[in-house]
Amino acid sequence: MEASDHEFTHQENFHGDDDDDDEQEEEGEDSEFMSPEARIRTKRAKMESLIRRLSTERVPVRVHDIVIKGNTKTKRSLIESEVEPIFRDATTFQQLIRAASVANAQLERLDVFDSVNITLDAGPPELPGTANVVVEVSEAKNPLAGDLGIYTKPEARSWSLEGSLKLKNLFGYGDLWDGSVACGWDQTSEISTGMPLPKFKALATPLSARISLLSQDWLNFSSYKEQVLGLSLGLLSTRNHDISYNLSWRTSTDPSQMSSDTVRRQLGHSLFSALKYAFKVDRRDSPMRPTRGHAFVSTTQLGGLFPDMRSLRLIRQELDLRYAIPLGFYRAALNFGISGGVIFPWGSAYSNTPSYLPERFFMGGNSSPVFSLRGPTSVLGFKARGMGPAGPRRFVGDNSNDGNSDNSGMDHIGGDLALTAFADLSLDLPLRVLREAGVHGHVFVCTGSLNTLTENAYREFSFQKFQDSFRSSAGFGVIVPTKLFRMEPLKLRFLSVPRVSIEADDRDQLVACHKKLESFVRKCGLNRKRSCS
Amino acid sequence: MEDGRGERERLTLVARKPCFGLPTSCPKCLPVYIYLKFSKIPFSLEFNLIRPDSDQLPFVESGDYVAYNNEKGGTIQKLKEDGIVDLDSEASGIPEWVSMKAMVESWLAEAVMYELWVGSDHKSADKIYYSDLPWPIGKILYFKQVHSVKQLLGITSDNAERREEEIYGRAAQAYGALSSWLGEQSFFFENRPTSLDAAFLGHVLFTLHALPETSVLRSKLLSHANLVNYAENLKMEYVDANSSSSSVPQTDPSSSASRRGSKPKSKPKREKTEEEKKFRRRAKYFLATQLVAVLVFLSLLGGSNDADVELGDSDDGLDYE
Repeated sequence: MEASDHEFTHQENFHGDDDDDDEQEEEGEDSEFMSPEARIRTKRAKMESLIRRLSTERVPVRVHDIVIKGNTKTKRSLIESEVEPIFRDATTFQQLIRAASVANAQLERLDVFDSVNITLDAGPPELPGTANVVVEVSEAKNPLAGDLGIYTKPEARSWSLEGSLKLKNLFGYGDLWDGSVACGWDQTSEISTGMPLPKFKALATPLSARISLLSQDWLNFSSYKEQVLGLSLGLLSTRNHDISYNLSWRTSTDPSQMSSDTVRRQLGHSLFSALKYAFKVDRRDSPMRPTRGHAFVSTTQLGGLFPDMRSLRLIRQELDLRYAIPLGFYRAALNFGISGGVIFPWGSAYSNTPSYLPERFFMGGNSSPVFSLRGPTSVLGFKARGMGPAGPRRFVGDNSNDGNSDNSGMDHIGGDLALTAFADLSLDLPLRVLREAGVHGHVFVCTGSLNTLTENAYREFSFQKFQDSFRSSAGFGVIVPTKLFRMEPLKLRFLSVPRVSIEADDRDQLVACHKKLESFVRKCGLNRKRSCS
Repeated sequence: MEDGRGERERLTLVARKPCFGLPTSCPKCLPVYIYLKFSKIPFSLEFNLIRPDSDQLPFVESGDYVAYNNEKGGTIQKLKEDGIVDLDSEASGIPEWVSMKAMVESWLAEAVMYELWVGSDHKSADKIYYSDLPWPIGKILYFKQVHSVKQLLGITSDNAERREEEIYGRAAQAYGALSSWLGEQSFFFENRPTSLDAAFLGHVLFTLHALPETSVLRSKLLSHANLVNYAENLKMEYVDANSSSSSVPQTDPSSSASRRGSKPKSKPKREKTEEEKKFRRRAKYFLATQLVAVLVFLSLLGGSNDADVELGDSDDGLDYE
């Protein structure tokens, strides 16, 4: 395309230019005699012809210069480093338009501009076949922004109420300082601050860093509290791939001094240095109520890397697969899902070493597995951490449950091998007002299994044992989605009765033991092998 | 259902790591170890290497029963009150016994605390508490502990010298009194061991073996030959003896370092350290190479990253499909 005097604006419908000025002059003359409607029709026809030409023909063009306007605080080098690599490879008009879209998205992603406008202008007349790119940014007038909402975060175990403050572009390098305070329903609290690191020109993908102080209270479930002071580095973040590095100082304590033997052994200070890779594909039509499509997530975590070889050494792998099939009536959909995970320590004497307790898999809670892709954690119908292996808490006189609302006297210690599966049928309710509000019903079946593999337990692991470890639940409910969260005010669920095996020498003790155990198991839905002597 | 009090399973003492030729090198853990040895009850010894700042250690457990050190006057007192081990049934009513016990557990305990965290260099403390923790954590916890000890002992920059004189003075006074009372006896009271012997023996063994030779407290103790002889004799009889009914040291499976036996041999440890250093050096080179490879991969991948960038909704109304 020859250089022209007209601008092509990315965000505007361009009224192209013809090589033939005479045609325009003729038009001008003719337009005097044409009706307004005919004039519009003619122009539209010309426009369509031009667009057809531009979209079908390879119109060579190269970028001569990138002009940046509107940046009073933001460093020019930051904007150039974002857009230059994108426009460098554009050699045709179509590629130029696409590159402009990509560059626009890249700059908006920095989240430090109120608006970004990219205009394609003709290059200098002495250089035909060139174009200038004009990037006009409007910096955020108020660098401070606040947020309050209910979220779910990778660090939190469930939903949390979070307030955050963001300070944008303090130093002009696209830095985003944010501080947040989060309180979770399970008494999780987190204070964190993050920023993207200055962009290195050699690396097209920006790095981001986040420092956080996380405090989680698991006293009621597992008799320990955990504090994590961590630094997370985002190394790569694209639509499908995510690589991050986490370095954290983790401290587990038991202020109640009621923990079981397994938990007691794990209390103390640890350094967690891990590389995490996540691959995600989500083709579902809606993350909250999917009715068609599939999703797959694989997360691999390798701990025990530098800087210190005494840091926690573990390998953790999680897989999630979801599939939604529309049924064609009442917006009904059948959702299937399966999730699995395994954690294992590595290094010398790995077979004797237990896996790190806070990183084990815990199951239960009210988070629906339909929309959550956080590994094998969600099994509806069981309370938080209510499934899987458990150990007796410390015995203290006659009152062994001081200060604990969980009267079972058991610590849930999680498992090394986890598997969950579910099937969920969701459909709109007959009432129109409920349908319009998004209220819908669902029927579900869930199952899950947690097993221990470490400390040589894998030697005794068998398929029969694996089968016996499954717990199931089924139920139905009504879901009320709101802008902030998803609520299920009505849910009925049915739990499978676990099988229990008891060994005892004395029959009377066996009977008493069995009765106590049955009522305990009925209450908590745990599987336990006890010996009465 | 299992009753934690019903049947006492084998006792396990969870203490801090062995060092300096001692079965456990922590000055709070050693008396409990010695007390159990005096009682001749079989017990296992396990080590916890990742809780240097916990006041729950040492603790004794048996099944669901646990006797923490921060409850009811300490682990020994809790074992006595719960009827598990009581060596003081007759001596606890004797005023002199009570006074000497109080002296050992206050003046001498303070002196050891001062000498370990303030008076000497940090090498002993590092070795006992932090050698198995990753470096940044160990360093931060060490400084935190030093600050905490200074607060506990009431030491400020203004009164540091005065407090040091007071602490050493009281320790010297205690040594003198105990030396006079002990004479040439094997134990402090009625020729049989009590918790006073356990506490004082633990103190003496720690001072003689774990503190550096330049330690002022150590030199004050060495001036009382009968106390040193008392300690060495009891160490030979109760601590160094490898009877089958006594403790079987085990590693805490949650710890990252493994220790076997109550007396680590110096020669194999030196070899292992050199091997370990070599391994760590190679591991660091390997990991550095991997990091460089990842960075190079990211740089190359970044060039083709544009295709993965999601485009927002386009407002230009153009359709090139």
